[in-house]
Amino acid sequence: MGRSDDEWVDPVIEVYKRDVDVTLLQSHLRKTPTERLEALQSMHELVEELRRGVAARRRGP
Amino acid sequence: MTNFRRLLEVLADGGVEFILIGGVAAAAYGAVRNTLDLDVVYRRTSANLDRLAAALAPLVPYPRGAPPGLPFVWDARTIQNGLNFTLATSLGDLDLLGEITAGGPYEQLIGKTVELEVFGRTYRCIELSELIRVKRAVGRPKDFEAIAELEKLLELAPRK
Repeated sequence: MGRSDDEWVDPVIEVYKRDVDVTLLQSHLRKTPTERLEALQSMHELVEELRRGVAARRRGP
Repeated sequence: MTNFRRLLEVLADGGVEFILIGGVAAAAYGAVRNTLDLDVVYRRTSANLDRLAAALAPLVPYPRGAPPGLPFVWDARTIQNGLNFTLATSLGDLDLLGEITAGGPYEQLIGKTVELEVFGRTYRCIELSELIRVKRAVGRPKDFEAIAELEKLLELAPRK
C-alpha cells in the first residue's frame, strides 16, 4: 500500500531540516501574524537599504 | 521596496477576491525567510477582473523586468487575456496568479485556505499544509530550505 503525498518523507528535505533554527521559529510563533509580517517588512526594508548602500559604493564617489 | 500591508489593503479595499500564498503567507505562519514580493491567487470571474483592474490602476502596474515603453494597458481585458502576472507597482512587486502548479485556480484552492487576521483585516490565506504540498509538488531546488522550514513550523504548531 502506498503512502499519500502528505505522509511522504522527502530525504532531501529531511537533510535541510537539520539546519533549521528551531529557536528562531519558536520565537516567531510567540508573535501574532501581524507582528510576523511587520518583522518581514522590517527585514525587507533592511535588505533593500543594504542593496542601495552596496550599489552606491560600487558607483564610487 | 514592497509595502506588503498597503498592497493587501489596496486589494481588500477594492473588493478583490484573492488568496494569499507564497513567502508572505509563509511569514504569517512564522517563517523567518525574507521575500521580496507579494504573491496572490486571484479569482478569474468577470466581476473580480474588473475589481482587480480598478483597484490596482492607481498603482500603475507594469510587467516586472520588462523594458520601458511597452504598450501595456492595465485593464480587465489584459487580465482576461493573460493568467499570471509578475508586476512592479508603486507599492512594490506583486505576483498575480490565475492558477498555481499543483494548486490550481482560486476555486480549487479556496477549500484549502484559512481566514487570517493581519493588520486589523481578515484575509484568505493558503493553509500551511497546502503551502508545503504545493511547494513540494513544484520541486524547485531553491525552495528546499523554505520547505524544510515550513515542515518544522507544521511540527511545532499546536495539534488540533
